[in-house]
Amino acid sequence: MAAVALKNQLNAHIASMFAAGFLDKQFQELQILQDDGSSPGFVSEVVGLFIDDAEKITGLIAGLLDQPVVDFDKVDALVHQLKGSSASVGAQRVKLSCEQFHSYYEAKNRDGCVMALALLRNEFYDSRSKFQTMFQLEQQIEACS
Amino acid sequence: MRTEERNGVAGAGRDQFPVGMRVLAVDDDPVCLKVLETLLRRCQYHVTTTNQAVIALRMLRENREMFDLVISDVHMPDMDGFKLLELVGLEMDLPVIMLSVNGETKTVMKGITHGACDYLLKPVRIEELRNIWQHVVRRKFSTRECVTLDTYEECNKPLSADSDYAYGQVTCGSPDQSGRPSKKRKEYHSEEEDEDEDSNGQDNDDPSAPKRPRVVWSVELHRKFVAAVNHLGIDKAVPKRILELMNVEKLTRENVASHLQKYRLYLRRLSAVASQQAGIVAALGGRDPFLRMDAFEGLQGYQAFTSPAALSSFSAHGLSSPRNNQAAVVIQGRSIHTGSVSSTTNNSIGDANKYHLSLQGNQHGKLAQGLATSLGQAQLQQKWMNEDNGDLSAILCGNSLVKGMPSTLRSVTSSTLLPQDQVECTQAKVAIQPSIRAPPASLELLEGAVGASSDPLESRVSQQGALPLCGFSGSRLPVHGPFNNNGATRLGDAFSASFRPTNDLTVARGSKVGASSFGGTIHLSPDTEQKYWSFGSGNSFRQKADESSADSLLDPKLVWSSSQLTSNVDAHHSMSQRSNNCSINIGHGARMFGQISANASPVVPQAKIDFLFSGDTSMARNASESSIPRLQTELSSSTCSFDGLLNSMIKVEKDDNAFGDDLGCDFYSLGACI
Repeated sequence: MAAVALKNQLNAHIASMFAAGFLDKQFQELQILQDDGSSPGFVSEVVGLFIDDAEKITGLIAGLLDQPVVDFDKVDALVHQLKGSSASVGAQRVKLSCEQFHSYYEAKNRDGCVMALALLRNEFYDSRSKFQTMFQLEQQIEACS
Repeated sequence: MRTEERNGVAGAGRDQFPVGMRVLAVDDDPVCLKVLETLLRRCQYHVTTTNQAVIALRMLRENREMFDLVISDVHMPDMDGFKLLELVGLEMDLPVIMLSVNGETKTVMKGITHGACDYLLKPVRIEELRNIWQHVVRRKFSTRECVTLDTYEECNKPLSADSDYAYGQVTCGSPDQSGRPSKKRKEYHSEEEDEDEDSNGQDNDDPSAPKRPRVVWSVELHRKFVAAVNHLGIDKAVPKRILELMNVEKLTRENVASHLQKYRLYLRRLSAVASQQAGIVAALGGRDPFLRMDAFEGLQGYQAFTSPAALSSFSAHGLSSPRNNQAAVVIQGRSIHTGSVSSTTNNSIGDANKYHLSLQGNQHGKLAQGLATSLGQAQLQQKWMNEDNGDLSAILCGNSLVKGMPSTLRSVTSSTLLPQDQVECTQAKVAIQPSIRAPPASLELLEGAVGASSDPLESRVSQQGALPLCGFSGSRLPVHGPFNNNGATRLGDAFSASFRPTNDLTVARGSKVGASSFGGTIHLSPDTEQKYWSFGSGNSFRQKADESSADSLLDPKLVWSSSQLTSNVDAHHSMSQRSNNCSINIGHGARMFGQISANASPVVPQAKIDFLFSGDTSMARNASESSIPRLQTELSSSTCSFDGLLNSMIKVEKDDNAFGDDLGCDFYSLGACI
C-alpha cells in the first residue's frame, strides 16, 4: 500500500511539475521511452546527468561573466549547450531561460547576462529541487518494493 | 568495438534493414548523447557514441566500414560539427545528420550546404530517428551508378581538403571493384589507409544496401555517352536515344537515364560555379564553391612550391625517319603522377581496370629553381589522367626510378572543354623548333591535362578535353628556349570557372571573363648554369559553348626530356576532335638545328586524343614562317635536372595508323627512354 501511495504521490508531483511548466513534452517522451523499453531508471539517469551538467555549465558561465573581458562567444556556446541538454530532458523552464539569455549575449550586454544568469540559476535550482523530490519518491518506492 | 558482434548484428540486420544499422552518434553534451543513444537503440540501430568530434573522426577513419551513418551535434568544443561534417563528407561517403537546438535558418543552411543530409532539432523525437535509415539507402543509390562522375569529383576534393590530410598523401591505389564511393574516397588519404582499405576490402558489403548491378562508367563509356549526347543535343537527349547511339551491351536505359541526370546536374553546377565563383574556384580547384569555401583555407599551404613537377610524356623515337608522313597517334594513357614530392598532388584513381587512373594534382610545382623564381606564382593544377590498363604500374615503377630527369619541362595545357560544348578551337599550330643536334630525336608528347578543375566536371574536362602536352626531349642540347605564350583567351561566363590561370607560365590575364590574353615568358634556369627556357607559344583557343562562346586559355606545357636528340625533329601534332580544332602554336626560334612543329589540338569528348605527327622539316619551317613568336630554345637535357622530378607516363596506344609502324617510330614510355 505504501508503495501505491508513494507512486500516486510521485505521479502527482510530476503532474504538478508539468503544470508549473517545469517539464514539457520531452519529459513525457523520456518516460515513454523508459516504460516501453526495458530501461528502468533511464529518466532518472538522464535527469541526473542534466543536473550535473547544468550545474557545471552555470558555474562556467558565471566564471566567464566575472572576467574583466567577457568572452561572449564562450558564453554563447555554454548557454547553447545548456539549452540543448535542458531541451533533451524536458526541463522547460531552464530551456526558456536559456532562450532569454540569448538576446543579452547577442548584444554583448554584460549586465544583462549577469541578470539572465541569475534568472537561469533560479529556474535551474527550482527545477533541481523538484527533480530531487522526484528522485526521493522513486527511491522510496523502490525501497518499498 | 567488437567487430564480430558488430558483424553479427549487421548480419542479423541484413534481412531487416534498418535494424542493426550502424550509427555513430557524436555530441559533447552527455545528456543529449544519452537521450540520443537511447532513442537510437530503441529504433534498433546499432549505436556507437562519443562525446568528442575528434574521437569520432578517428573512429571513422580507422573503421570506415563500421558505420553507415553519423549523427553529430553542431556545437562542440573540440571541433565544430560543420568541420566534422565536412571532413566526413570529404573522406568517406557517409551520410551525416546534424543535430542542434538551434533551428535558425542560417545555421540549418550552413549544415545543408556543408553536406549534411538532414538537420534535426533538439530534442530529437524518435519518430524522426526511425526514418533516418533512408539517408543511408539514398546515399548508396545515388552514388551507385555514376561512378565516373564521383570519381572525378573526388579528384577535386582533396584540393579543398583540410590540412589534416591534404599533404603528403599521394597515393594511387586502385579502387576496389565494387567502386563504392566510400572506397574511392579512401584513395587520397594516406597509404596506411590504403592498406586499411585493403584489409577491409573484403567485407565492404553493406548489409544495409541491397545489391544492384552496377554500371561502371568508365572513361570510355562516358565518352560514348557524351558523344551521343552531343549528337542529340543536350536538350533533346533522351536516355533511349542515347542508349541506341552508344550501342553498348548490358547497358540499360535506366543506367543511361541516371547518368544523364548526373550529367545535367553537373553541367548546371558548372555553369553556376562559373558565374559565381569563377576565379577562385578555378584557381583552387574546389569542388563546389558553395560548399567548400571554408576548406579553401587549407589551401594556403599549397602556396609553397614544393617539388619539381613531373611530366608525363611519351616519347616518340625515330620521328626523324619518315618525315612526310602523318600518323595519327592515339594516346590513351595519360600521365600518371606518382609520389610527387609536393604533397599537394592529389591523386584519385578510378577503377584501375576500367576506370583509368586519374590523378589530379594540384601542383604548385616548381619545375626548376629558376622557374620558380621567375614565375613567382607558378601553380600547376594538373589533372593527370591515366587510362592505362595494367601495364601502368610497371611503367610507373620505371618512372619513379628516373629521378632528376634532365630537363623536363612540363606544361599543362589547360583548356576546359566541356563535352557538350561545341568547342571550336581555332587552329593553333605548335611549332617547336628546338635546337637539336642529334639526329634521333625523341619527341615526347605530353598529354596535358586540361586544366581546370574546380568542378567535378572539370575532372571530366580533363578527361575529355585533354589537351596534349607536347614535350620533346632533347638530350644534351643546351637549350635556351624563350617561350612566348600568346594566348588569346576568351572565357565565356560558363567557362570562367573552368578556366585555369594556374600554369607554369605566368599569365597575365586581362580578365577572367571576357577576353584575356596572356603572354608569358618563362625563363627557366634549370641549373645554375645559364640555361633559359623560354616558351613562346601563341595559343589561341576558342571554344564555343552552346550557351555562350567561351574561349579558354590554353596553356601548353612542353616537356623536354633529355634524350639524345641529334636530329631535327619535326612533329606535327594535331589532335582533332569532333568539330573542334585546337592548335597550339609554340614557336621556338632558338639556336636550334632542329625544328619541331607540333600542331596539337586538344581533343574533346571523344575518347581519344589523336596526335598527328608529321615529321616534316618543311612543315616546321613553314610553321616558323608563320609569324609565330620565336624563341630561342636551347635544350640541354643534362643541364636541366630538376629536383625530385616527377615523371609521369603516358601510355600511348597506337591507333589504326600505328604511328610506330608507319613512321617507324616507337613510342616508349618515359622510363624506357631513360
